[in-house]
Parts: sequence; structure tokens; C-alpha cells
Amino acid sequence: MSGRGQILSWLYVTPLMLVLIPFFVAPILVVLAASFFQSDGFGGLIADPTFQNYTEIFSSKLTANLYAETIEFTILTWLFSLIIGFWVAYFLVFHIRNPLLAIGLFLLCTVPFWTSNIIRMISWIPLLGKEGLINTALLRVGVINEPLEFLLFSGFSVVVAYVHQLTIFMIVPIFNAMARIDKRIVEAALDAGASRLDIMRMIILPLSKNGIALGSIFVVSIVMGDFFVIKVMSGGGSASVVGALYEDVGVLQYPSAAASAVVLTIVVTLLVALILRTVDIRKELTR
Amino acid sequence: MAVGAGSIELAGVVKSFDGFVNAVDGVNITIPDKAYCCLLGPSGCGKTTILRMIAGHDDPTAGEILIGGENVVGLAPVARRTAMMFQSYALFPHLNVRDNIAFSLRVRGMSKAERHKAADAMMEKVRLAEFADRLPAQLSGGQQQRVALARAAITEPRVLLLDEPLSALDEFLRIQMRQELRSMQRDLGITFVHVTHTQLEAIALADLVVVMEKGKIRQAGAARDVYDSPKDRYVAEFLGGQNVLMGKVRTVNGQHAEVTGLTGSGFKVPLTPGVNVETGDPIAIAVRRDDIELTSPGGSPPANTVAVSGKVKAVEYQGYFVKVMLNAGGSEDFVAYVSERKFFNNPVTIGDSVLASWPVDHARILAHDH
Amino acid sequence: MSAAARSAVAVPPVSKAVVAHAIAPRAEGRPWTFYVLSTVFVLYVLALYGPMICIYVLSFQDVRGGLVFPMKGLSLHWFVDLFTQVRTGDVKGSFERSIKLAAIVTVATVIMSFLAGWAFRRRFVGDGVVFYLMIGSLVAPGLVLSIGVGLVLHFIGVEGAWYTSAIGAQLSWTLPFGVLVMFAVMSRFDRAWEEAAYDLGATRWQTIRLVVIPILAPGLVAVALFGFTLSYDEFARTLQTAGSLNTLPLEIWTMTLNITSPSLYALGTVTTIVSFVIIAICLGAIASIQKRRAVRVPAT
Repeated sequence: MSGRGQILSWLYVTPLMLVLIPFFVAPILVVLAASFFQSDGFGGLIADPTFQNYTEIFSSKLTANLYAETIEFTILTWLFSLIIGFWVAYFLVFHIRNPLLAIGLFLLCTVPFWTSNIIRMISWIPLLGKEGLINTALLRVGVINEPLEFLLFSGFSVVVAYVHQLTIFMIVPIFNAMARIDKRIVEAALDAGASRLDIMRMIILPLSKNGIALGSIFVVSIVMGDFFVIKVMSGGGSASVVGALYEDVGVLQYPSAAASAVVLTIVVTLLVALILRTVDIRKELTR
Repeated sequence: MAVGAGSIELAGVVKSFDGFVNAVDGVNITIPDKAYCCLLGPSGCGKTTILRMIAGHDDPTAGEILIGGENVVGLAPVARRTAMMFQSYALFPHLNVRDNIAFSLRVRGMSKAERHKAADAMMEKVRLAEFADRLPAQLSGGQQQRVALARAAITEPRVLLLDEPLSALDEFLRIQMRQELRSMQRDLGITFVHVTHTQLEAIALADLVVVMEKGKIRQAGAARDVYDSPKDRYVAEFLGGQNVLMGKVRTVNGQHAEVTGLTGSGFKVPLTPGVNVETGDPIAIAVRRDDIELTSPGGSPPANTVAVSGKVKAVEYQGYFVKVMLNAGGSEDFVAYVSERKFFNNPVTIGDSVLASWPVDHARILAHDH
Repeated sequence: MSAAARSAVAVPPVSKAVVAHAIAPRAEGRPWTFYVLSTVFVLYVLALYGPMICIYVLSFQDVRGGLVFPMKGLSLHWFVDLFTQVRTGDVKGSFERSIKLAAIVTVATVIMSFLAGWAFRRRFVGDGVVFYLMIGSLVAPGLVLSIGVGLVLHFIGVEGAWYTSAIGAQLSWTLPFGVLVMFAVMSRFDRAWEEAAYDLGATRWQTIRLVVIPILAPGLVAVALFGFTLSYDEFARTLQTAGSLNTLPLEIWTMTLNITSPSLYALGTVTTIVSFVIIAICLGAIASIQKRRAVRVPAT
């Protein structure tokens, strides 16, 4: 493209960059810088570079536990949201014949995403609590004698809340990927005598791979970066990496929080990069 | 000599998109004012590129384009007083028919009342008045085409450029709409340049047929000239309607050459003015398919004819004529168009041996391919 | 058919197992998989909306109401409580601030996303950098960015506020979504429309104003929808950048940490109604535009 065209393109992209640079690049860099500073105990920073913050993180057993717990939640959430999301998307694309109805049902699934996720989170209380609907129903029927404690304020409820919030992030890209599959390919396979398993294995799954990868990126990065779902839904019983970060900030320990943030960002970036190796994200998103 | 406002001249026009391959490779042609010109050729031959360069949507890498005598390279389409009708019609989906047609007037700043009046007049002309308030999605293919035409014509261009205007229509509509285009062109009295890959369409419509291949013009002339007297093998084969026979010159006598065909049979061919042949030259000969008469072998072919023998490979019924494909020794089919009644008086079937004959002077020697 | 056309390799006859598993067409009705999957789907939708609906229902209790079922009474008590009682926090103020902030972010998102999407129609030097920065902004943990912005402001010596720094922080979340939607929308935009406008004499600005924007209108409405709802519900990035006055999600958050009465449920109902209204308006607008432009008539 001509030089003039290039300048024009950059002009159009400038507003976007004016947001990204101060509100994405700069904060990351500042956090990176702050992670090497020391705290003066009052929320200020002493510009005396040190690796102390990092050594504290890597030598602490707490860090390992935090990451283990967070990664465990991440994997569980990813697994369940993938299974549910995949089948919902599959149902919408391949079993709903009317395209308008498919889009309508799809929108039905996405609408909750447009509402406050904090509200959606606390809405589990009347359902899962000791006096909640599920417990009272089970008690009345006689399946149990005492209310189930683990339903709320536990690891179980954390995963439930995550899956509830994040399955939509799986459904959308998988739905998109599946909708692009030319149905005539499936017909050709039927013509050749393929069974359901064959079609799923050889056509649907490979062609939905990109959607699955995209959804996984969202789910992984959101769970790894979350602090409020786990705080509320575990009732304080579990902690997360970012939760600990939040606590640090709360006591104005910026350098250690910064170092923690840097480590987390690197871990998430590695995970995302790993997933990106299986899909060309630029081509997928700009098609 | 004064040139008409809508006459187009391309001089040495070259277009390369990537610096390696020339999509248009040195094209020289003059299209007279008020002519209907068809650019004919297969996909990728450069015809659409030429159209877009005349329109001003692409600029040539080298060469000049003159419209009405003035060089227009570098000028915007609106400054050239040309208008283009796109292959997909490109009707604005959010505007109704009236606003689509009035669009060019709107961007010139005409008032709403005035431009609606002008649009209404144009809609009367193309018989679209009753659809004035419809959106393009609510129109049929033929109606959309008329809107596209009206939208281009309202700017009173001196040249109208049409990019495969009939390809989107089905066969029946295509033949109907052909004549609409022609009569519109006569009505408006301007130059039309029409790009197509359909041979029959080009020869039906055009005053000037330009046959192209791989960025070059192979032959340009009146429809009859191009069809009946193709210059070289490519044109002969592309236009259809001709058999091309290969052979070698044995001797040259006065007005004729004696040629040995590929199967060894010999026949006479009149010399083509402007094409030099000498003994021993390889040669290509064109014979019109409807000039071929089929007789049974052993029977005597009519006087003053030349004949080759062949075996019937396939027979295709085409309504008013029957297409008989023969294996006459060459790599390609030798095809005879036999008028229907004649065929069924004396039908042949697959496997029959026949003698295919044609009047000596109805064959042509083709120029050498480059 | 000549002998050469027959397979060089012997084609095995179709086995019974393959025939058993092959899918035959059916006269009517649905395969069993349909019923299984639709059950899954229904359960999913119920699970999706169920909890929210519990909250909405419970918010209509009267003054005796608790946090769980069974429901006690029917009244608007808690809604009144929400907007009048000081102890439940500054709901009215934070609500106003959220709406205003969301409006600003929406407009900014639409304009900036449109421009960026327009730029990305062709490749330009460094477009990969911009693209990956955008994806990075999308994927980065919100709290980290929030803290970072807070530190930046601290270093510069400027105070954050909901009408300054929070806008930027929220845009770093909404813009990637908006631009991605624009990518999808613009890839379906036929360049022939632009060329036709140019051919008919329109200037670049006229083409954008009279052709591009109207045709892309449904996409722009979708971006506005993203911009508004993402901003209205945004929490993590706004946490450290909103300054001293809270937006609604921040206010909800402080209430969540000590839930004592159904007034929080009432708040949930109110804020969801606002969201639903916006969604309905946007989707309705998109649907009506698409409907008008997509009617098909048989060829005449």
C-alpha cells in the first residue's frame, strides 16, 4: 500500500492506540517496574531496585499453593464449560433447522452475559444455601437428613459460579466455528456411509478446533485473573492468586503485589500462547 | 478529424498488479463514439481490468487512455463522464429504488425535490415507476439490473461500462435482457463497453467485438468478421462455430495451397490474404461447422468440395440443428452442425463412418499463433 | 466403461457394521440425539436464568423478607428501601454515575471501533502489533491493569475519577470487543458499494456518511450494545480507577461483602431491568433494519 495509505491507516487506528497505550501498555510496564521497587510501608515506593519481591514469591510455599488451587479451578471450569458449551453449540447449529430460531436461542443464551455478573454470582445463595431451594427440596423428599454444606461457600460453588458465568464464552466461538461448516460436507460423509462417531471425529471436531481454542483462551484468562467470584463463593475458604494480590494492594504493599501480578501475567501469557499455537487467531477473528 | 465525445482510445495500455505478470499486456484499440463494444474472453484475460481502467477505478501501469480525445489517466470516474454498472449491481441496500437512482444527483448537491423529479423521469424510462419505494432486496434480478442501469445513466455519461451485466441472470432472462441493453444503448446514444465471457452474447449485441486472451487483444472487428473470419486459432476456437484442422503445406498453387492433413489425407485450401505460407509449413485451417455436409463413404461428395473421412463419436440434438461430433484423426473433435430436418432425413449414429465435406473456398488458413 | 476405468485396487464390499452405523434418512421425526441434546439445552437455559429469577422473585418480599425462600409477602418495600436508606449505600448516586459513564464509553467505543475496523480492512505496517496489543488488553487480568493505572496516576500525581481514568480503563475492555465485532461486520461489507458511490461522484466523506455508515448500522448498534453493557457491568478495571465515588458495580460489590437484606436483591432486579431494556432496544433496532433489507421476492 502507498505511503499515504499507510499514514491514513495509522491515523484511523490512533484513537485505539491512545487508549491501549496508557491503559494497557503503560500499566503493565509500571507494574513491571514497581515489582522491582521496595515498599516504604506507607503505600509509597522506594526506587531501590531489588529482586527481593520475586525471591519472596518463588520461595514461598503459599505461592505454590495459590497457583495450584487457581489452576485446579481453571482446569475444572475449562472442562465443564467446554463440555456443556460444545453440546449446546452443536445442538443450536446442527439440530435447529430454522436459522432464525437458532439465532434466537443463541441470543437467549447470551442475554445473561449482558447483566451484572456480580448479581448473577450472589443469585446462587437462595438456591444453594443451607436454607436454599435445593436443600429444602432434597430434605422434603427425604433424600438427605441434613442440609448439604458443600453446596455453597465451597470449592463446588466456586466452580458452579465460574461455569455458569463462562460457558457463554465457549458457546459463542464454537457456535461461530460450527456455523461455518458447510453442511454439504456432512451430507457427503453420510453419503459415504459415515456413522455419527465418524462425522464427529473427522469433521465436526477438527473444524471446531479454532472455536474451542478461542473459548479456552477466554475461560483460562478470566479464571486465572479473577478474584471476586472465588472470594464470595468460597466464603473465604479458598484464595486465588489475584485474590492475594488484591489483599496486598489493600495493605498498600504495592511492590509485592506488582511482582505477583507480573508472575501471574507471565503464567497466563504462557498458557494463552500455548493455546494460540493450535490456532491462527488473527485469521480466525478477522474472517 | 473531430472525435466523438464518447470515443475511446487505448494506446499501449499495460497493467500489472504485482510487478511480475501483466494482467493487461500492451493493448491498442479504438472504440468509436456511440458504438456498442463487447470485450470477450475467458476469466483472467484482462477484459475486466481494461473496463475498470476506462472507468477510473484502476490506473494503467503504462500507456494512455483517451476518452473523447482527452487523456483521462488519473482522473476520477465522475470527471471522466463515465458510469459503471457492476457485476453484482452494487445497489445500495439501505436505499429504495428512487434514492438509489437519485444518489449521484444527491452527492452533487441537488435539492430533494429536483432529484426526485429527475429520478422519477428515469424510472419511467426503464419501466420501474411502480417499484420506486421498494428496497433492492425486494426486487427480482431483472428489476435490479434496470435500477443499476438507470442509476448509471442518470448522470448522462458519455460512456457506459458494464461488467458482465447478464451473468447473474438465468438463461431465459439473459436472452430477454440482452435486447433491453441494446435498445437502451440506442436510446441514450452513447458508447457502451460490455464485458462478457459468453460468445453468443457478444456477437448478438456488439458493433465491435474485441476478443482477448491473457492480457492481449487477439482480434477486434464486427461480429460477423470475428465469427466468420477468425484471424488465428485461438479466436477460431473461442468463438465456437469453427473446426480447426492441422496440417502441413505440400505445395502452393496460385490462389490455393495443397495441404496434407494429419491423417495423411490431402485437400485444397484457398490462401488468406496477409498470411504467408510456404511449402513445408505447419498450418491451421478453419472450417465452419455449419458448412460441413455428411455423406456416407463410397458415395460421391458434391462437386468443388473437399472431404475428410471420420467416425461418428457423439450426436447432440440442439433443436433446430444437430451437432454431430466426429473422430477425424486429429486430437480434437471434428464437429458438423447439420440442420435438423436434413439430419433426420438421413440420420447417423455413433460408430458410423461418414465423409465430411465442405466447399473448397469456405475454408480459411489461420494466422500463426505467437 | 473401459477396463482401465475400473479400480486398480479391489474395493471391499460394504460390511454389515458400516451399514449398521450409517445414518439412514427418516421419513419424519427427529433422531434420538435431538431429544437428548434438547434436554441438555433446556437444562442449561434453566440453570442460566434460574438463579437470577430467584433473586428477582425474592426482591418483591415485604419488610419481613429474608435472603432465602420461602417468600414472605409481596411488596415493593425493598425497592423503596434501596433508594432511600443511607445505610444501603449510595445507590442512586452510583447508578447515575454508571449510566453516564456507560453512555460516554458507548459513544467512544462506537467511534473508535469504527475507525480502527476501517483501518484494518487493509494491511498496514505494524498492524500485527496493534492487533496483538488489542488481544492482550482483552485477555489481561482486569485487576492488574487497574492497579497499574492506579500506580501510573500515583506517579503522575493525578487523582483518578469515574469521569476520567475510569473511562480509559473501561475502554481498554470494550474496545477489543467493539473492534472484533467491526472486523466481522466489515468483512461482509461489499467493496462494490464503495466503488459504486465513488463511480457516481461521491467524495470519500460522502461515501462514508451516505453509504458505509447506513449499511453498517446494525453492526454499529451491536458495538454500542457491547460498549454499554460491558461498561455498565464492568468491575475489575474500574475498581482502582474510579476514584472516590463508586460506580454501580463497585457499589454492589461493597454491598455483597456483607449481605444482610433483600435490598441487594432489589438492586439486582433494578440493574437487570436496565440491562434488559438496553438489550431489547438494540436487538430490536438491529432486527428491524435487517428485516427491511432482507426480504426476498421470487424472480419475475
